[in-house]
Amino acid sequence: MLIQQLVNGLFSGSLYALFAVGYTLVFGVLDILNLAHAAIFTAAAFSALALTAAGFPLPLALACAIVFAGILGILLDRVAFAPLRRRNAGTLVPLISSIGVAIVIRGIIRGIWGSDELRFGNFGSMPPFHVGGLTFGILDLVVLTSSLLLVAILSFVLRATTFGRNVRAVAQDRVAAALLGIDIERTIWMTFFLASALGGAAGILTGLQFNSVSVDMGAKIELKGLAVIVLGGMGSVSGAVLGALLIGIVESLSVAYISSNFRDAIAFLVMFLILILRPQGLFGRRAQRTG
Amino acid sequence: MSLLGFLAAHSKLFDQIGIDALLALSLSLSLRAGQLALAQAAFMGIAAYVGSIGSLVAHWNLAESLIAGPLAAALVAALLALPIGRLQGVFLAIATVAFGEIARIVEINLPITGGAEGLSNIPNDAGTFLIYAMLLACAGGVWALQAGSRSFALAMAATREDEHAARTIGIDVARVRILTLVLGAAIAGIAGVLYAHANFFITPEDFGFTRMEQILVSCVIGGVTSSLGAIFGSAFLTVLPETIRFLHQYREVSIGVILLAVILFAPSGIAGLWKRR
Amino acid sequence: MRSFSLVAAAALTLVASTSVLSAEPAPKAQVTVGVIVDAGGSAGAYGTAQRNAVELAVDDIRNGLIDTGKSNLTFDIEDAASDPAQVVSLTQKFATDNTALLIGPTLSSEAFKSDPIAVRAGLPVLAISNTAHGIPEQGPSVFRDSLAEEQVVPEAVKSVKKILHPKTAAIIYGDDNAFTKTDFQIFQDSLTKEGIKVVDIETYHTGDVDFKPQLTKIASFSPDLLVVGSIVSEAVKIIPQAKQVGITSHIIGGNGLNSPKLIQIADKDAEGVVVGAAYDAANTYPGNAGFVTRYTKRFGTSPDQFAAQAYAGVQIVAYTVKSGATSRENIAEQMLANRGIPTVLGRFSFTQTRDADAPSAIMQVHNGTFVSFK
Repeated sequence: MLIQQLVNGLFSGSLYALFAVGYTLVFGVLDILNLAHAAIFTAAAFSALALTAAGFPLPLALACAIVFAGILGILLDRVAFAPLRRRNAGTLVPLISSIGVAIVIRGIIRGIWGSDELRFGNFGSMPPFHVGGLTFGILDLVVLTSSLLLVAILSFVLRATTFGRNVRAVAQDRVAAALLGIDIERTIWMTFFLASALGGAAGILTGLQFNSVSVDMGAKIELKGLAVIVLGGMGSVSGAVLGALLIGIVESLSVAYISSNFRDAIAFLVMFLILILRPQGLFGRRAQRTG
Repeated sequence: MSLLGFLAAHSKLFDQIGIDALLALSLSLSLRAGQLALAQAAFMGIAAYVGSIGSLVAHWNLAESLIAGPLAAALVAALLALPIGRLQGVFLAIATVAFGEIARIVEINLPITGGAEGLSNIPNDAGTFLIYAMLLACAGGVWALQAGSRSFALAMAATREDEHAARTIGIDVARVRILTLVLGAAIAGIAGVLYAHANFFITPEDFGFTRMEQILVSCVIGGVTSSLGAIFGSAFLTVLPETIRFLHQYREVSIGVILLAVILFAPSGIAGLWKRR
Repeated sequence: MRSFSLVAAAALTLVASTSVLSAEPAPKAQVTVGVIVDAGGSAGAYGTAQRNAVELAVDDIRNGLIDTGKSNLTFDIEDAASDPAQVVSLTQKFATDNTALLIGPTLSSEAFKSDPIAVRAGLPVLAISNTAHGIPEQGPSVFRDSLAEEQVVPEAVKSVKKILHPKTAAIIYGDDNAFTKTDFQIFQDSLTKEGIKVVDIETYHTGDVDFKPQLTKIASFSPDLLVVGSIVSEAVKIIPQAKQVGITSHIIGGNGLNSPKLIQIADKDAEGVVVGAAYDAANTYPGNAGFVTRYTKRFGTSPDQFAAQAYAGVQIVAYTVKSGATSRENIAEQMLANRGIPTVLGRFSFTQTRDADAPSAIMQVHNGTFVSFK
């Protein structure tokens, strides 16, 4: 059972990772905690649902929904963050602004689709795989490989492209980056596109894996995502991935060996302890902003 | 309908406004010191449970609950202030949110709190009058604190502007942070006990992140700089869903839009509050 | 002037006589019933069915299919969207206006918050879907037509033991919901009473989507029976995931699983699931077949237990009002006194403790529909 639980943890962890990298990317570049990330996660799942219901073949619907999520991210920046940047409003006001956008997005979703839980068409019951004593469904595999693939692409982009270098430069020191001639605003909104697209992908995959889409589906992962980026280090993509997998596995194991009551508490305990003992997490650069 | 009839029929609504106003007031204390300490909902819950368990098990009367509950919340706040003392900005926010979630999960799992089913049959003896009396008392207290002690008011403002600079000019930033957290917790605690006694039933879910978000939104919309703002914000947010019932499923959107509008276009209080770089 | 007063007197007499002549018999008593359901939100699946049923009942009253005697029965249906605060505020509204009776709310956890307000105001409450422990105990005019879990589950477990002979069982339930916790306790008690050993107990929280860790652990015990103590939104994930981790146990659940959504969403994975229910749409009680036909025609799906209990609620109220009770006190008294009201749930009476005195129906999912469990 131990290995199976480890594998379970890996699967849930990979979804946390996909969600968290977008979260941490925005924080790294702008020092902003984007609480609308979970709302975009949800919006993407709903748009994928709507597209498949309208007859789009699944892969196309997924691709369109991911792009849509990215565009939502750009809109989010333009509406809620850019004006505040111009005003030098600091880092806490945008947080609240993001809450406002999250409420609007959730409200629109609720307005169109109501509060019920919806599902993707009929997948039918696919028999699970049995490999070496382990059991998993085909969707689990799809989710795992997609998550890892997307995260790998992100890492490549950040490391090897000009855009990636610009992002890292802006994250490091915005003033210096501007002096180097980097177009800050463009880098920022492209970052939002990327981060939100990934968050949207996480939403779509979550909706697919559990065949459940509802307006509140982002609530849990929003808070878990916080724990992940705190553990991994705010601003560190590799930290987010590692943190996510770790938390996923620890949660699984806690159910197996302690009790299922405290499964959710694990993530928050970890979060709290890290913030007190080692605020920069595993790989974070900045612990706290002083002044 | 006569005015009294109107008040009677909507007394629950007015109760809610009063309690929400107390919570917004409690958060505003921290916000005015520049601390995004999002633990009010948790403090509310702690006090509500202490007060309710006391009245159910030890047969406390309302006055005793109103003392014990906020005291417990303030104590927890004081204990909490120590480990989170060095955290700033977003990190403080996250830590307090984590604390809130842990508190909620503890409440779900402790047998004495009735677990997820919550506590019911709490004596229903907190009337509208009492709630508003306490609101006035707390608002008055906060005002007295600001007006009475100029040095404290200055300390709060300086801490809000720039903690680092404030320290260099000799302001005891730690004291400001702890005081605002503890006082805020006490006020939130009063709100919690009143909430428990005004409704018959409390569950851990009443004191979770959703409530915290709600308090934050009413605080921001109402304006953080004054106690009146707290009352206005909560009145607005409580009454709004009732008046826009006709919008059916789109009620939530309007709240979000208003919040955004306030932040983007009416920010003078808010932006001035958190001018940090 | 004389002529004027003559004309005036004549006119007055005319008016008086015409009003006397055209006087109607005593005007119909106006009885307003408040209805609070969660047509949206987490309990939306249940509440929508309830609202549909009440709307159908309103039409049936208008078309004479439900008799309300000399009274004019009107319904004020409100949607609380699964928000307890709204349930409370709506209850207070009904408590302070001239509503004679309150039907609802959808969830037990909401009822515990709002019923006390109705009790204080002397407003009788008829619960149509609260099945947790302690609902009627809240006040002498709180009734329920929904069978409590403690009335249905022991029957379900007995049936399962008789037909499937399980020796061991595992339970998974939601630890943060009054209803699912009740479910768990009652199942645990019943299983133990029937000599079935409970080998593992797992919990989850409302809103969870991933149950694999708990189910994997349960699978390692290979129980004969898996008890799912949840409401439908989690059940439709738990059951397919259970199959995915290789659980082959028989699956049984309480009232929460009793919804067409279970079959709609869990599809083939739901085959064989046994549910302790209070309504079988195929029952042959008088009036039920017509109800099923009309409901299906109007709403496109056959009525589930929630719709049936809501419709029966209206039938009970109509019967009560027909007997002459039109005020809050009279209605409460009359409801208790009624015996054998014909409803779609069968012949209905309230027990002395205001619970439902009606037969339970143990159902099983077979070829995509709920059928009687045999």
